[in-house]
Amino acid sequence: MPERAHYWEIPHVWFGVEIEPFVIVYTIMFASALIMLYRFYRVASVWWKVGRAERRWDKLHIRLWNFIKYGIVQTKVLKDRIPGTMHVIIAWAYFIFFLGTALATIDDHWFKFLEGNVLVAYKFILDIFTIIFFVGAGMAIYRRYFQKPKRLTLDPGFTRTLVMITVIVIGGLLTESFRLAVDQPAMAWSSPAGWVVAQLWIAMGASDTTLINWHLGVWLFHLVTVAGTIISLPVGTLLHGLTGPLNMFFSKLDRPFGELAPIALTADGGQIYTSKLSDLSWKQLLDGDACTECGRCQDACPAFAAGTPLNPKELILGIRDALRSDAAAIIAAAVMGGNGDAPALVGEKIEEEVLWSCTTCGACVGVCPVLIEHVDTIVDMRRHLVIEGAVDAELQTALSNLGRYGNSFGKSDRMRTRWAKGVEPKIKDAGREEVEYLWFVGDYASYSPTLSDITLKTAAVFQKTELDFGILYKGENHSGNDVRRVGEEGLFEMLMEKNLKALSRSKFGAIVTTDPHTYNTLKHEYPSNGNGEWKVLHYSELLDQMIASGQLKFSKKLGYKVTYHDPCYLGRYNGIYDAPRRVIEATGCEIVEMPRNRDQGFCCGAGGGRIWMEEGEIEQRPSESRINEAVSLDGVDTFIVACPKDVTMYADAVKTTGQEDQIVVKDLIELVHEAL
Amino acid sequence: MTHIMVPVKLVPDLVEELEIAESGTALDMAWLRLIINEFDDHAIEQAILLKERSGGEVTVIAPDQEGMDDVLFTAAAKGADRIIKLIGDFEEGTNNHALARAFANAAKEVGPDLILTGVQGNDDLDGSVGPYLAEYLGMAYVGYVAGLSLEGDKAIVQKEYPGGLIAEMEVTLPAVLGIQAAEEPPRYVAVSKVRQMMKEASIDEADAGDLDTSGGLEINSMYLPEAAERAEMLEGDEEEIATKLVEIFKEIGVM
Repeated sequence: MPERAHYWEIPHVWFGVEIEPFVIVYTIMFASALIMLYRFYRVASVWWKVGRAERRWDKLHIRLWNFIKYGIVQTKVLKDRIPGTMHVIIAWAYFIFFLGTALATIDDHWFKFLEGNVLVAYKFILDIFTIIFFVGAGMAIYRRYFQKPKRLTLDPGFTRTLVMITVIVIGGLLTESFRLAVDQPAMAWSSPAGWVVAQLWIAMGASDTTLINWHLGVWLFHLVTVAGTIISLPVGTLLHGLTGPLNMFFSKLDRPFGELAPIALTADGGQIYTSKLSDLSWKQLLDGDACTECGRCQDACPAFAAGTPLNPKELILGIRDALRSDAAAIIAAAVMGGNGDAPALVGEKIEEEVLWSCTTCGACVGVCPVLIEHVDTIVDMRRHLVIEGAVDAELQTALSNLGRYGNSFGKSDRMRTRWAKGVEPKIKDAGREEVEYLWFVGDYASYSPTLSDITLKTAAVFQKTELDFGILYKGENHSGNDVRRVGEEGLFEMLMEKNLKALSRSKFGAIVTTDPHTYNTLKHEYPSNGNGEWKVLHYSELLDQMIASGQLKFSKKLGYKVTYHDPCYLGRYNGIYDAPRRVIEATGCEIVEMPRNRDQGFCCGAGGGRIWMEEGEIEQRPSESRINEAVSLDGVDTFIVACPKDVTMYADAVKTTGQEDQIVVKDLIELVHEAL
Repeated sequence: MTHIMVPVKLVPDLVEELEIAESGTALDMAWLRLIINEFDDHAIEQAILLKERSGGEVTVIAPDQEGMDDVLFTAAAKGADRIIKLIGDFEEGTNNHALARAFANAAKEVGPDLILTGVQGNDDLDGSVGPYLAEYLGMAYVGYVAGLSLEGDKAIVQKEYPGGLIAEMEVTLPAVLGIQAAEEPPRYVAVSKVRQMMKEASIDEADAGDLDTSGGLEINSMYLPEAAERAEMLEGDEEEIATKLVEIFKEIGVM
């Protein structure tokens, strides 16, 4: 029965001294590993020496699961099909090579099992992965040197890495081929790649001695390249192989995607506004070192596509680069006592304009294969700008209005329900009588004159389906979702307190709203009312339930060919993709999906308070890009939205792109109203 | 060290529809929402800008009206060193003569080198506060100021005239300046900063005494603008319009 030959033809005497080959290998590997770990410690220790504390050690079982799911199986890497496959091929080939080497060590020293059929399978799998690796490396070469997508960083560091990992595999393959050419064992076919290469040496007619010498030379070279790669791991682009999985392990588990953390506090209760590196948490610094520079966030970002100064990839790399250049000085200053003149991050290395360009749509976070949390960091930095009063004039007006009147329109709170004047029967006041559904109308639906028709249709649908509902009238204030994302935490708290007061005075079964932003913050950021969690429904969910229960019946089949835009705060943030689609289909419409749909949905550009800010210089509004996307669909003439702000944004975009005769923007409720 | 005093007041917020009280001589306070006089807000900003630029001390002083505490704490959050509330019978409504007398009395205690206040307010029925205050204190007054710098005991001020003219003039301190616009728009103050001020800062109180409204107006009646008949639009070229206009003037007997 064949056995694995350990250290085949490797001399046991070196320079006249008897040394077992395994001693040489283990010494070199152990030393490399030590150097690597020391270098990695130097990289990693900066995170907690510079960054502030943040608790990310709880729920270890979930963290371990995330590590396996995202780090080993790499589900998110695979979301981008072709580059993802390339990466997984290379990574998995190396996982298998590592496992193969570890098994050989066990077989050599502790437990002999690599013999017979097991050995055949072992050899075969390793060789197949060698072939698979070359496919992956070929894809990487094509992508990096021929295709050259804009989003990639074409830095020589990546070339060095690709050369190193390829040279290692070639070294291993050649070593095997020389052995097979000399031994020509009966089971050589189980190493197909090695056997094919061995044919070359056999055909050349090289003598056994020559081949054994070459074998020794390549074996040593292979050993040295592996050692070199391990040593350079923490200082090259392969660092992501360590930091990426760590970042996945430490990703946030304490809150849903749609909930922002409050402002961090110092030990004595002071608020920490992020203006410099040391205001960031160690995890936010780890984000920078975990970035693989793959650029998926850049491709997904509506602000980047619009030509604003924001590039989420550059933002994260900006933090990393600042850390590399300033960490030593910050740590030295801390040792000397005091904070010294810590170099500024916000306003210096990260421009204010970059931070204000973000719509907080979450697309970057959604696509990041190593789970970087861009939006949280952006909001942290915005909080600093707000506390410094560094906001533009339009945003200042909106915030002042919100503080004074509870709405961004700067209108009296008495005017909030003007749209409801004349609605018969009069809509119940949830503050006075108990209702099953409390309709939280929201600012845009309440105040925007262009939306009052849609708001009235919503009321009409609710009334015709005999829904027991009411509104808060004057008691309602802006929910604060986007106020919080602007970074005005104090104003968010104030608005929330006012709403909580009105809500606590009311009796209702569940809250329903047409606004995904309101939905998000009420659901995730408002505390429960003491009698268990509030149930919050988006109107698409409520309508979907009413259709299922038979409470909502349609008399018409509309027969339109429509497309549907996923609002960020409904889709990506809250995973509600199917309810609105089911409602649209129930009205007898056919949905044709845009290429960017569901979790890939493209933001309208209004979120995160952008709707209140000066537009700045842009090339193309995200909403216009979206309308063009919809217009290019075959036969689609209706663009369905499920968010009041979307109605405003896209109706404008249809006009500015001059496509009024191509497509019309409709709210979901308009279809429902028409089909009743 | 220049000590700047900024007297401010609240005025009706025009986002609400104004209603006339039953008496027919005043606004109905029940329907009124008050807001800081926009020009006073600019005066605060200008004072803070001066302090940031050349040092000094800023005292903001205001009558005790509903919602004034928030305004004073906001001023403190912007950088005012001292905030004072005049305690008196302001809720019943008063006039600018009385207000200016109360500010003048307080100024004697505060002892400012410079007084900045809004050049006007939307409820200035009996003239604006600034000139009266200057009169009662025996100081110089320059109104419609849109920027100034301090040089020793002098202020170099930019005064705006209609038609875009700007005059630069020198005023010897102490003086009262009526601010038209600060050099920068009033800054934004984060809500949490104001809330923190509410915990840390305290509002000094000064007795306004009996309010002396003498010299002001007596209001006979107050009414909302009445809808007039539709305006007639004159059409044609300049000659034709002028001819028609003359005819109309003759017709109604003003020519």
